[in-house]
Amino acid sequence: MQPIISITNLCKQYGEKTVLNNINLEVYPGQIIGYIGPNGAGKSTTVKVLTGVIQDYTGNVQVAGKDLRENLMDIKRMIGYVPELAELYDLLTPREYLHFTGTLYGMDANLIEERMVKMLDSFGLADNIDQRMDSFSKGMRQKVLLASGLLHNPSIVILDEPLSGLDANAVILVKELLQRLKQEGKTIFYCSHMMDVVEKVSDTIVLIDKGIILANGTFEELRAGSGQSLEQIFSKLTMADNLMGKAGDFASAMTSNNTNEQL
Amino acid sequence: MNKILLYLIMLPKGLWKRLGADVTQLKAILSVKLKMDDRKPLTMGRPQNNAKKKKSNYASTLTFIVGLFVGVMYVFPLIMFESEPYMGLFSFYTMLTVLLTFGLISDFSNVLIDTRDKLIIFPKPVNDRTIFLSRALHIFIYFFRSVFPMSVIPWILWSYLHGWKGALWFPIPMLLLTFICLFLVMGCYMLLLKLSKPERFKDIISYFQIVFSIILFTTFYFMPRLSESNIFEQFNILTVEWIKYTPTYWLAACWYWIEPNAAKIQGTGWLSILAVFTPFIMLWVTVKFFAPSFIRKISAIDGVEVEAPKKNAKKVKSSKLYLTLGSVFNRTAASKAGFSLAWLQTARSRSFKLKVYPGFAYVFVYFFYIFLSGNVPFDEVLDRMADSKSHLLLLYMTSFVLLNTVTNMNITEQYKASWIYYSSPMEKPGRMMGGAFKAMWVKYYMPFVIVVSAFVLYVWGIGAVIDIILATTNVTVYVLVLMYFGNRYLPFSMPEQMKTKVGTAIVKMIAAMLFMGCMGAAHYFLYFLWLKILLALLSIAMLWTLWDSYTNTSWQQLKMAEDAA
Repeated sequence: MQPIISITNLCKQYGEKTVLNNINLEVYPGQIIGYIGPNGAGKSTTVKVLTGVIQDYTGNVQVAGKDLRENLMDIKRMIGYVPELAELYDLLTPREYLHFTGTLYGMDANLIEERMVKMLDSFGLADNIDQRMDSFSKGMRQKVLLASGLLHNPSIVILDEPLSGLDANAVILVKELLQRLKQEGKTIFYCSHMMDVVEKVSDTIVLIDKGIILANGTFEELRAGSGQSLEQIFSKLTMADNLMGKAGDFASAMTSNNTNEQL
Repeated sequence: MNKILLYLIMLPKGLWKRLGADVTQLKAILSVKLKMDDRKPLTMGRPQNNAKKKKSNYASTLTFIVGLFVGVMYVFPLIMFESEPYMGLFSFYTMLTVLLTFGLISDFSNVLIDTRDKLIIFPKPVNDRTIFLSRALHIFIYFFRSVFPMSVIPWILWSYLHGWKGALWFPIPMLLLTFICLFLVMGCYMLLLKLSKPERFKDIISYFQIVFSIILFTTFYFMPRLSESNIFEQFNILTVEWIKYTPTYWLAACWYWIEPNAAKIQGTGWLSILAVFTPFIMLWVTVKFFAPSFIRKISAIDGVEVEAPKKNAKKVKSSKLYLTLGSVFNRTAASKAGFSLAWLQTARSRSFKLKVYPGFAYVFVYFFYIFLSGNVPFDEVLDRMADSKSHLLLLYMTSFVLLNTVTNMNITEQYKASWIYYSSPMEKPGRMMGGAFKAMWVKYYMPFVIVVSAFVLYVWGIGAVIDIILATTNVTVYVLVLMYFGNRYLPFSMPEQMKTKVGTAIVKMIAAMLFMGCMGAAHYFLYFLWLKILLALLSIAMLWTLWDSYTNTSWQQLKMAEDAA
């Protein structure tokens, strides 16, 4: 089978700092890839390269056999992206926003309306469809973003912390949704810090730190019979040792030289 | 209004398509942007309010009226050169070009290089040309909205002078002029963007804007004065025949369509063709050559150069100037925090620097302009100054700097970060506001007053000390009064709004400066030293009382002030 995403020798620098250092990765259709790593590891940069937001990288990225640089628009049409920081135009209502994003993908207004209403209804946002989003909670915005990323029925879905701010029921719904999307043959690139979710939903887990891929395999392969959880494997590979001690230091920092200075 | 403009903008669909834009996407982006501009963002702790609609209509009317007044100032060349319409139009278009370019650079640059769309539009299948054109046309719509009221009075005058033909003709070159200004500035920016390192681009742009604003401002005020002297006394368009090479003359040459024989520079009628084609050529060059790498460059703008982490960052040096000054000038923790925040943020915010820094130069430019308008020979300037009381003018004009810094200190793109004030156990937000006010006073106003005072003492001698003290306290009291009644917000907590900023800001500033002028005039008539000392003491006492009230602003008072905004 041909990989749907093929990354070869991908490098990206900001000034003198190397954020991605020779990334090589292949993702196959219908797979859920759990892309994990500590803060500043290069996860979001990889995602921004894949979505065409960052274009000044070196190396080669192919999506569905096409070169990303040369077929940017075609590839963007195949991708649905849910960014990490709940970035949306919050002065708009969900209806206005989703009509806008749907139009950018060349969708018909009736189709947008039909899909949008169904999606928001599933998320319990039917009553908020004409409310401005600047009064929305983080979870409500996240639901609108998820709808916006999936509205055009993409074949590749890139999710950057998609469960951020969602309530327990919505988390269950999204996890179930991921499985349904997988069954439909969609490829999911899933970036997250929530190890338990990644462990459960991913077919393959890729662990990145300081711009380098440290591990790439199924959860069973990463564990290699050690019986450790993904969280423990993560800590071990990213060399975050003595976390207990550090937590103790943090807690004691809060109480050192305690004063009740009046503001 | 926006809907009509959007409709008109989308009429030449074929042109936008030929330039490589996706027309459906272009319309969708523009329509969403305009919709958002019409909505007032919610600030912390303020619910949505229907009464705002009325308020924004009032702001639009005010903007229109200000535009009309600005237009009045520009009709003079048309009247002065009534018998030479080409010269009148050339002067009119040139003055307007300076003003419009200035406005474009200071008010709309951020729209062109905005990076907030990065995660919303850039990942979507929208090409560079569509994104670039959407920004250019978004700016054009606002630009047109401010140019239109300015051209109403000159249009009426021109119609009066030249009849119905003139009335029909007038809007055509005006529209061409608007496009020329727009693409001139955009072309410059796109060229800079192409040539510079993206990470440095915003800094380069900031300094470019500051320097360019000062140059434009200085030229604008001094050119008419120079033109009054010797060379242009017996003015004749034929003495400046070189103007035919300038685009503003090409626009004036469009009058050839109505009165072919009125042109004194012979054989220049064909230049009107250039006026028609120049905007299209500029548009084509900008879109074809600069727009293709637009998204890549804009994306890279925010990729700031990452500095290597500092080795001994764990121990902060307590000897930093702002920390020392913060401790000296403030007693409470909240005011120290406000002082530090305002000090650091204003040092790093590009939009703050852009709005405030040129003001330092304007004070001196204005001063010399007003003084020199009395036809004083250059070599006698200082002597003449010493004989006058014009140091008061300079001293009171420093209020512009203080007013500019403290009002701009409240505005930020990241106004939502102001949640921190509301969640912290601060009993009185006034303390924080007071600290921030002091930071602006110490950081910007005090050094500026020291420089101005050194100049005043050099020219007017030691006797001017009492004037310096009285003027400085008066200026501080006055600016504090303005903040107290009209601008009582927490630092960096208010959003900047595109729609209302053009008119109301100008009106507020003009009204503030007029009142300041009255104060200066009152000071001018104080002849007795004892009276000046007495008034200085009174002014200090007033400052004391007002300061106490300002720094004791409660949460409730703050909310009332924000609701009224």
